[in-house]
Amino acid sequence: MRDRLLALAEAARREIGVASELPVVEALRVRYLGKKGELSGVLGGMGKLPPEERRALGEVANTVKAELEKLLAEAVKRAEDAALEAQLKGPGLDVTLPGRTVRPGSRHPVSRTMEDIVRTFSRLGFDVASGPEIELDYFNFEALNLPKDHPARDMQDTFYVDDASLGHARKADSPVLLRTHTSPVQVRYMLNRKPPIRAVMPGRVYRRDSDITHTPMFHQVEGLLVDRDVTFAELKGTLDAFVKAFFGSATRTRFRPSFFPFTEPSAEVDISCTSCGGKGCRVCKQTGWLEVLGSGMVHPNVFTAAGYDPSEVTGYAFGMGVERIAMLRYRIDDLRMMFENDARFLEQF
Amino acid sequence: MKISVKWLGDYVALPPSEDELARKLTAAGLEIEGLERPSEGLRGVVVAQIKESVQHPNADKLSVTQVDIGGTALVQVVCGAKNYKVGDKVPLATVGTKLPNGADIKQAALRGVDSFGMLCSSKELGLSEESSGLLILSADAKPGMPIAEALGLDDVVLEVNVTPNRPDALSHLGVAREVGVVTGSALKVPQPKPAESGTPAAERVKVRVDAPDRCPRYVARVVENVTIGPSPQWMQDRLKACGVRAINNVVDVTNYVNLEYGQPLHAFDLDKLGGQEIVVRMAGKGEKLTTLDGKERTLDPDDLVIADGTRAQALAGVMGGGDSEVTQGTKRLVLESANFVGSGVRRTAKRHVLHTEASHRFERGADLDAVVPAIDRAAQLIAELAGGTVAPGRVDVYPAPKPPRKVTLRFGRVEKVLGVAVAEPEVRRILAALGFKAVEEGTGQVTYEVPRARVDVEREEDLMEEVARVYGYDNIPATLPRGLPELAPEPAHVEAERRMRHALAGAGLDEVVNYSFVAPKSLEVLGGKEQPVALLNPLSAEQSVMRTSLLPGLLENLSRSVRHQVESVAIYETGRAYFRDAEGGQGQRPAAREVHRVGGLVWGLRGGGRSWTQKDAKADFYDAKGALEAVLGALRVDGATFTPGEHPAYHPRACAQVKTADGTLLGYVGELHPRVVKALGLPEGVFTFELDTDPLYAAARLVPEYHPLPRFPAVLRDLAVVVPVELPNDEVRRVILEVGKPLVEDAQVFDVYTGKPIPEGQKNLAYALRYRAPERTLTDVEVNEAHQRIVEQVKQRLGAALRA
Repeated sequence: MRDRLLALAEAARREIGVASELPVVEALRVRYLGKKGELSGVLGGMGKLPPEERRALGEVANTVKAELEKLLAEAVKRAEDAALEAQLKGPGLDVTLPGRTVRPGSRHPVSRTMEDIVRTFSRLGFDVASGPEIELDYFNFEALNLPKDHPARDMQDTFYVDDASLGHARKADSPVLLRTHTSPVQVRYMLNRKPPIRAVMPGRVYRRDSDITHTPMFHQVEGLLVDRDVTFAELKGTLDAFVKAFFGSATRTRFRPSFFPFTEPSAEVDISCTSCGGKGCRVCKQTGWLEVLGSGMVHPNVFTAAGYDPSEVTGYAFGMGVERIAMLRYRIDDLRMMFENDARFLEQF
Repeated sequence: MKISVKWLGDYVALPPSEDELARKLTAAGLEIEGLERPSEGLRGVVVAQIKESVQHPNADKLSVTQVDIGGTALVQVVCGAKNYKVGDKVPLATVGTKLPNGADIKQAALRGVDSFGMLCSSKELGLSEESSGLLILSADAKPGMPIAEALGLDDVVLEVNVTPNRPDALSHLGVAREVGVVTGSALKVPQPKPAESGTPAAERVKVRVDAPDRCPRYVARVVENVTIGPSPQWMQDRLKACGVRAINNVVDVTNYVNLEYGQPLHAFDLDKLGGQEIVVRMAGKGEKLTTLDGKERTLDPDDLVIADGTRAQALAGVMGGGDSEVTQGTKRLVLESANFVGSGVRRTAKRHVLHTEASHRFERGADLDAVVPAIDRAAQLIAELAGGTVAPGRVDVYPAPKPPRKVTLRFGRVEKVLGVAVAEPEVRRILAALGFKAVEEGTGQVTYEVPRARVDVEREEDLMEEVARVYGYDNIPATLPRGLPELAPEPAHVEAERRMRHALAGAGLDEVVNYSFVAPKSLEVLGGKEQPVALLNPLSAEQSVMRTSLLPGLLENLSRSVRHQVESVAIYETGRAYFRDAEGGQGQRPAAREVHRVGGLVWGLRGGGRSWTQKDAKADFYDAKGALEAVLGALRVDGATFTPGEHPAYHPRACAQVKTADGTLLGYVGELHPRVVKALGLPEGVFTFELDTDPLYAAARLVPEYHPLPRFPAVLRDLAVVVPVELPNDEVRRVILEVGKPLVEDAQVFDVYTGKPIPEGQKNLAYALRYRAPERTLTDVEVNEAHQRIVEQVKQRLGAALRA
């Protein structure tokens, strides 16, 4: 019996040792160690043996069983490893196929630029405000110190609105037009608040002009700060800070005297060319400077129109064309692209 | 305005270079937009006198000339032109010259004869488009003289951008004054004193001003025995440099003096004036006048005219008339130097669409004090150049002389406004140099008399601007604004709009920006019933009304993309739509109702283009709706509903109206109506949406509220029902949620199926139900019971069949 046991062990060792697939290993386990397996078969006659022999044989049987169990476990591991190896060896995925995604939509360069301008000023504590685009002559011109028949009105060719189309029950207080700048929002904003005031006013504006460098609609961001004892030096500081924050800290500003009816003194603000850094190039027409902002100290007549006492407060205002800044920023060389909304243009932003 | 630097030099010492001059003027507010140097391309070209010309030995068409260029030896030049004779003076491009047409002049042997340069035509010098033969110069040109000098092109012309507030700078004297102020050099003002003789002017012509409110001053002079002819070269050169065409000596003088003083002048032929009389009056209704440009104009009673005894002879301050024009035979002149009120001139100029040098100056405000010196200067020049005699005296109608304006400057105020302390002596120096006269001293302040040319200076701020611009904006420090007032919360709509944009971008929509004005028919085609706000003076019919919808722009964008073979379009725009407002335009109320909108459009392949993951799937209604749901989700607008809607722009079977939980209509989403698609020539399958954003933002919950996580597990069960195709998901879902209360937490539709084996007219809807109780773990029995109840109710209430 002992010999049969050892012979069984020997045969099992051999077979398990070469088994490399899980089903084979499982079959061997059933065959040797299963309830009706060979080991049980051999040991079946053990009961008839005398107790001493039985004990001795039992020890041998236990040793054999433990050994076979260990060998089977190893075989299982070997088989699993082999199976995994085989699985890992198959052809790889085509990782070059594009992923499953929704292409993110782009942001229009004008609206992105406008938002960025506004955000830069909000870091300086400026509120955001807006006003009507279909505006009264009064707010667009008169309240801004641009009386009727004033030649400065020629600076802004105006779209007028047909009264009859407005459906007004009563004639409007003054002619109706499409605002030519965001400046009327200044007046409306002041009318409804008391100083101190800090606000930027982004929006669409309209001028009756259409050629390679003009579109009949464009965007501006207007800024207004009113308080006691506000100085021109602060205007310079604020715009210089904005320019550095927006275009980079190496950007320089230059203030030139100019004329806007609603500010006095007035200044055009140039920045060092964003393309060449000021050395002179095609973008800045070799001057090294780019004109990007108009600004000045709020004209006393504007304060009066807004119900403020010009002897009590001073303030400054500024305005910039968003398209111009966007063109500089993204190096767009054709203004008209902005409103053609060509898919091949939009997807670049 | 064009300013000749040479001319400027008559009145003031100039900085060593034109570039420096330009820089200084720009820094002081007279922006120099350009510097023209006509002589630039003519370097190396000199006057050559032809001393000898013989036939070229080896070429029929060439000559060999010997020319004098002022040196000791003659220069030999081979020439192909024939239009000269020996003794003529012509331009010679010397060896080493680069001509404006790009030609490099080298010493060369032409058919065996050496040539040291090239004799030039005006075309070769870039002076004209066409020319035949050599440019023959005037006999007084000196051999060797640079050609630029001989042609009067040795000038530099400044292009000055004069802002509308500075009519004083619309003249050489005015600009010279600025130069003097910024360089500190003295201004030499001409002191014209014409020699007078003969009959006094007042006996030759009468002047009457019937409209003194439009013409504060009118001065006339009479010059007799003039001989009309060309003006001298120097004057023609200066006029030409300023872009003014030379006409004859008298007209040229009036133009010249205008450019010198900024005072427009006019010369009438005295013998053509009826009644030897000048009347400044308003035009009669329907009165006719043929202006110098040859146009007959019907005048308006608001037009001011210069008339003789019988009829209008000039549009005052704008343009003279043809009938009294100075011509070749003119012998006696009446010179006019007057001041006309700007607003009136402006109305007339606009009415007759006539923008002239004169109207430009009067509109902005001419200098009342220039009227007399300008006419004296003109009389003197005419006497000199046209040989006339100036009649003694001026006829001067100046009914109500106005004293000059006075403005007080407080020195302390300068620092308060500018933020820099400009020393008092410097302030005084600047203002004095600009011609402001201190007339009254006070404590810490001084009152100035404003030069009449400075129509823009009315108040203290204006004086401060004068100080600031001359002191130099660059010399004013830059300081950050002091203190932050309180920091107001960002307006909610700003954040809401930002989130909406992110959501739309995430859904794959590109942002567009379209014009606010559209063609009326682009709104009509969408079934728009509102009458749009219309422009009086649109650029074109295509841009003549304010949009009442963002869709026309989006559809136009689609057309464009389709034309460019784009296969997938997904775009949105935020902006306003504009509507009539019966109560608008009063007080602060806007003239029209401007509604904030967001509009979107999807068409073509889903996901941005062809893709192996999408299998060329086309975008449909649910892509458009999905984009909106992304927005609603990002804004946390809870309980918004989509219900079948009716809208003329949309397909009746594929349109939803979108409402907030409280029933406010936000807008519509749907497939474009086939009729619209056809009318606009669009491809099929266009899905758009348009919502009002104000109520959308109002319904947004920008700060979400946290709910504790459930403590007990959920049980998931699926439910499939077969219902009539027209039964909306929302109704099935509502029944499930209602019947399943309180255990059913959510029911998501995860499959919609029509086709075999589902009967015709029916569809299968499959829902994933999630059961949960807040305080305990649900048992299978409970869930089974609840699920069974739902199944029963769905069957009963909706007539649904159940699918295993």
